[in-house]
Amino acid sequence: MVKFPDSEASVRLNPLGRWCQRAVNFLFPTETDTWLAVLRIGLGLQLIVYALFLRSDWHYLFASSGKGLVGREVGEAIASFESPLIPRLGWLVAIGRNFNVSEETVLSVTWVCLLSAGCFVLLGLLSRPAAILAWFVHLCAAESGGLLAYGADSFMTTALFYLMLSPLPDRYSFDHWVAKTKPKNPQLLGFWRRVLQVHLCFVYFIGGLAKCLGNGWWDGSNLWRSLIRPPFTIVPPDILVRFKYALPVLGIAICLLEVSYPIFIWMKKTRLIWLMCILAMHAAIGLLMGLYLFALVMIIMNVAAFGVSSKHATTQASCKNLDQR
Amino acid sequence: MYWKRIHAAWFGTHFFLLTAVCLAGIFWLIAQGSTILPSASDEYARKAELVATWCLGKEARASNPLRRGIATYLHAAGIQAGYSFFAPNVPSHHRLTFELFYDDGRVEYESPHVRSKAAALRLDSLLDRLPEERYESVREALVRMLAFSVWREHPDVKKLRATFGSVNPPGITEFEQGKTETFQPMFSFDFSLRDEQKQ
Repeated sequence: MVKFPDSEASVRLNPLGRWCQRAVNFLFPTETDTWLAVLRIGLGLQLIVYALFLRSDWHYLFASSGKGLVGREVGEAIASFESPLIPRLGWLVAIGRNFNVSEETVLSVTWVCLLSAGCFVLLGLLSRPAAILAWFVHLCAAESGGLLAYGADSFMTTALFYLMLSPLPDRYSFDHWVAKTKPKNPQLLGFWRRVLQVHLCFVYFIGGLAKCLGNGWWDGSNLWRSLIRPPFTIVPPDILVRFKYALPVLGIAICLLEVSYPIFIWMKKTRLIWLMCILAMHAAIGLLMGLYLFALVMIIMNVAAFGVSSKHATTQASCKNLDQR
Repeated sequence: MYWKRIHAAWFGTHFFLLTAVCLAGIFWLIAQGSTILPSASDEYARKAELVATWCLGKEARASNPLRRGIATYLHAAGIQAGYSFFAPNVPSHHRLTFELFYDDGRVEYESPHVRSKAAALRLDSLLDRLPEERYESVREALVRMLAFSVWREHPDVKKLRATFGSVNPPGITEFEQGKTETFQPMFSFDFSLRDEQKQ
């Protein structure tokens, strides 16, 4: 039987054992919690912006049929068909009804909960309960408004899912300052950072591959179409036309940047270049297309995954000690 | 050391499911014939998509606990859909216009609207989903609800006609030649809202 070794295991291993050891070393590197602090603070900010952006339309988007835009019932029925266990706002409204609380009040409380959870996550106050609450309420909203959801919602759900499972609190949080919590296992911190890193590699490789399969990304026409497509028309087409020779180059650059992300982001020499290019791409998406929430969550995930130094001062010996706890 | 085994097992399962979701999305695009790949690959892509969706339990009955369990997990982790945004090509924009007919013969034009720009993005996302085959069964109901949201602001409207279609923007060269976007109607519905209210 292959034993999961410590990083300094000196036992002689067969090829399978060596492969296993490499896999374990890859999955459980030692890390500080700086990346987790970046993810937590970033997502706290993201939640606050998300809640404030939707403040004026919150009831209109998530009210039941006849009161809102399309009513949340259709989105909830589609989610329920996939699985009745998927959380949705209808659950909270039903609970409220049992206590004679109106739907409107429940929706208001839900919005306040989301905003408060965002503030708590940002400050690192009751970090894990706040992260769980934020994930749950956001998931309920995303599923109830499933037909109204777009890419930013999926990424927010994923990022919050990883945040609530990660070893919170980090040393920059209020929790650590108030309760003087013990430092978390560096290998566990490393594992959750790996999860985020590998996830981003999937995102860009699949996104890049799908773009490479379309002819419009090779001649720049897709970039043109995406920038003049309502509601993303922030830059007037008259100005875009002036850069018509740059569009094919930019289109090809986006395809190559995304599809090669899982290779070059891991290499020390190219990591910074790829990261800066990806961040610039998301900043441009945010500014030129008005997809601020999408841009922000992608920037946060990238900076947390690859933008923070992974140097760890803890010795292997102290890792072992933490393992044995 | 058990925590490492548990985490490694979760990692394997999680990314296996994510791979299946992503591949199902890519193979679906190829099977639709919307990529630059030759049409001979469509059939293979269809079969490959079936394998990927089988891994996600989607070939099982809707009430199958494993299928439901996987679906719940995918939604909880936000990985239920692939990452082929704006790919392989940027889709057309869609527009829903309402013709409002009043008793006195007046006709006004209106579109469903929201207050904030963040919500407007979501409304556009909804309109872009309407022509998809999987929403065919709920299409009329959704348009009816959107019509109702407009009617609430114009309660004296007698009849309402919803026209839905795709908006095709001009290419760069066409734009330089002065061409503008074209509207291609896809379907329309008539609603007599006063009668419905009475019912």
